[in-house]
Amino acid sequence: MLEITQLTKAFGPNKAVDNITLSVPQGQMVGVIGRSGAGKSTLLRMVNRLAEPTDGKILFGGREVTALRGRALYAWRAECAMVFQQFNLVGRMSVINNVLMGRIFHHGFATAMLQIFGPEERALAIRALDRLGMAHTALQRAETLSGGQMQRVAIARALVQQPKLMLADEPIASLDPLNAKVVMDALRTINREDGITVLANLHTLDTARTYCDRIVGLMEGRVVFDGTPDQLTDRQAREIYGAEADDAFSEGVTSTSLRPAQPVRALEGAE
Amino acid sequence: MAQSSIATTGFVIPPGQDPVSVFEKHRAELLRSRLVMNITLIVLFLALLIVSVIISRFYPERLWNGLPRIFEYFGTVMPSLEADKLFEGRAENGKAVPGSLLFWYSDIGKYVRLLFETILMAITATMLGVALAFVLSFPAARNLALTRWSNILARRTAEVFRGVPEIVIALVLVFAVGIGPLAGVIAIAIHTAGALGKLFSEVNENASMRPVEGVRSVGGNWFAEMRFGVVPQVLPNFVSYALLRFEINVRASSIVGFVGAGGIGQELNHTISFYNDDRVMAVLILIVLLVTTIDLISERVRTRLIGRENLI
Amino acid sequence: MSDATLQHPRPMQVTASDIADLRQRFPDAFGNRRRQATSALLWTVAIGYLLWSLWYFEFDKLFNFNERATRMFSEFFIWGDMSGWDYVGIYQGLAETIAMAFLGTLLGSIAALLIAFFAARNTMPQPIIRHGVRRFLDLLRGIDSLIWALVFVRAVGLGPLAGVLSIFVSDAGTLSKLYSEAIENVDRKQIEGVRASGASPAKSIRFGYLPQIAPVFISLSLYSFESSVRSATILGIVGAGGIGKVLVDRFRAGFFDQVAFVVINILICVFVLDWLSGKVRAHFIGEKPH
Repeated sequence: MLEITQLTKAFGPNKAVDNITLSVPQGQMVGVIGRSGAGKSTLLRMVNRLAEPTDGKILFGGREVTALRGRALYAWRAECAMVFQQFNLVGRMSVINNVLMGRIFHHGFATAMLQIFGPEERALAIRALDRLGMAHTALQRAETLSGGQMQRVAIARALVQQPKLMLADEPIASLDPLNAKVVMDALRTINREDGITVLANLHTLDTARTYCDRIVGLMEGRVVFDGTPDQLTDRQAREIYGAEADDAFSEGVTSTSLRPAQPVRALEGAE
Repeated sequence: MAQSSIATTGFVIPPGQDPVSVFEKHRAELLRSRLVMNITLIVLFLALLIVSVIISRFYPERLWNGLPRIFEYFGTVMPSLEADKLFEGRAENGKAVPGSLLFWYSDIGKYVRLLFETILMAITATMLGVALAFVLSFPAARNLALTRWSNILARRTAEVFRGVPEIVIALVLVFAVGIGPLAGVIAIAIHTAGALGKLFSEVNENASMRPVEGVRSVGGNWFAEMRFGVVPQVLPNFVSYALLRFEINVRASSIVGFVGAGGIGQELNHTISFYNDDRVMAVLILIVLLVTTIDLISERVRTRLIGRENLI
Repeated sequence: MSDATLQHPRPMQVTASDIADLRQRFPDAFGNRRRQATSALLWTVAIGYLLWSLWYFEFDKLFNFNERATRMFSEFFIWGDMSGWDYVGIYQGLAETIAMAFLGTLLGSIAALLIAFFAARNTMPQPIIRHGVRRFLDLLRGIDSLIWALVFVRAVGLGPLAGVLSIFVSDAGTLSKLYSEAIENVDRKQIEGVRASGASPAKSIRFGYLPQIAPVFISLSLYSFESSVRSATILGIVGAGGIGKVLVDRFRAGFFDQVAFVVINILICVFVLDWLSGKVRAHFIGEKPH
């Protein structure tokens, strides 16, 4: 259970996130929507503690995330995986070593620096890659992959963290529609099969409607909608997106012919 | 040409004025300000020239008297080789024949040992310096330093190490640890750490922060962020800078001997100061050969390394 | 809310049989033995060499330095009475250093202006002469200015004249090469443009070549001046005048606090001159050729 209470992040006089209170039960898939600059990214980055909140609290399973320091903080980040818009992989390292980065917290200084990973960890990494249909690229350098492939590697990295919570910051904003679908399906499958809570920032409304159990709409750092996709009316959505509405309604995974939630394995030949 | 370049620098014609006269006025202003700056620079230049000539007593007649002596000196240090005796070995009494190569390079054993020492000094100093520069370069990069203080400390350290010439450090160290190559090695290593520390930190500052954030997001500490987020990106640049520095260090280790810090320089200083014969030229030629050979090899290695960097 | 919520997380796990299976399917992903061995060997050789060479250079000497050395290092930081120091001598030395660097670079630039045209491909089509000139320049650059200083001190005697000459020689070598590269990079189209408008050869040099190469030459010479100041500070160590002479004299006499003072002054002087030269360079580079 993730509990966010009165969370605020201010940059000078501007409040990127303004007094947000939100509670997410374990295993839910939540889509956070809003126009650019609505505070979606900042919210997610504060949950992972990549950004420090100005005020408020984040609790996970009763533990106060916002008070963690030092090794406890690293432990939290290892438990709370994050997937980025730009993948944030180490381009000049092999795919398998990128995925194994997800185990780095569990290593001491020497074995981490020398990249000494055990066979269980390597097997876990390959299985994670296999689930995303990327095992055949394991020994390639990450920078040789396409954007969609990189994002799948990034999700595999998140999987080997054995997380309880997965944050996805605009995971499909840099991808073409087909790859966007593969990535969203993967997140949905992970959510369903592994019972991992997924909190995803999504720019396009239809993606959120199609994949998420619950939608949270942000406007100027505040929650203006919180409910199931069915409860979100067109009028409310237009209000959330404002001038960007046309963009958000037409872009990305919008085609109704693309149905979600098939197991990812079936999509192996998608590339 | 002049017209178009003025137009691109935001030349606006106020309404109601004749464009030609406005242009001429603008052009005149531009020329005048350039002229003032140029005259100032020329006056400064001439003043500096006159002062310099006086301070260094660089008068034409001194130069005039000096020039023949330069040629005279180079004449005395030239070897007197004779074509028919060039490859002759030792005579019966065990002495080399004057005019033969053997006579010219009769100390070749000592030279080879010193050349070997010079190369070893350069390699060891480069390794130590690179290691120290590597350590300094992360806190010295503004985007990577953990705290402002560690950043300032690392930067200042690199600046001081780089600012003091290696031969001055060598002079001091010879006094502290005695005559011999150790002083030279440490002096060159310190200077290398400073020079490369600055270059490395600039490379680090240009590294993409995305992989760093990726490593942070999985629970890696600062060392993991540097090792996996930064090092893979910057390593090829580091290697190529280190090789360039090695070339420079070979030159440096051939001169630190002037203050007693080991290497072939010690022998050069000795021969120049005490003998007035072809031995000076013998050592000089060896130094030039050493430096050019190392440059060539290092250049080969650098071009080969580009493209295949599985050193990570 | 769908049925998937309120579950306990079941993160991915692997069993021993999974490991065996995957190891068979992806053997290389479990570590490439040969690559590991190569990298281990490389590291062993490097560290082994380093340890051996430190032993060879008698590294232990570093840990038993004597009282004199301790006194020296402490005096670097704790200065004695500063009133009796020979400031005139120190600043005269600094001025002499700058003068040496200035004259050496100036003469080197003038020489390079002549030599460069013999080393550039587009102005010297005869390859034998061009290569001969280039090898000669390599020779000039290959010998450090401190070695030149040592030779010139022997030839023309102690003093700044030897310093000026040594900077002149090494700068002439460096600048000729750089100038010739600048000449080779001249844009032919601009010169043809000038010629096409009816310019005589003299005019085409004035309006075609000069505007292109003059700022580059000036900027290269300024860089060269900066580096010459650095080398000029140490030429005095072999007797070629300048602050290096002051430094060595103070050092030999055991005035270590003054040595530290001189070094600090050198650092400040180099820093200020770099800054000034940067300003002048900006003036010439910023001034676009018309």
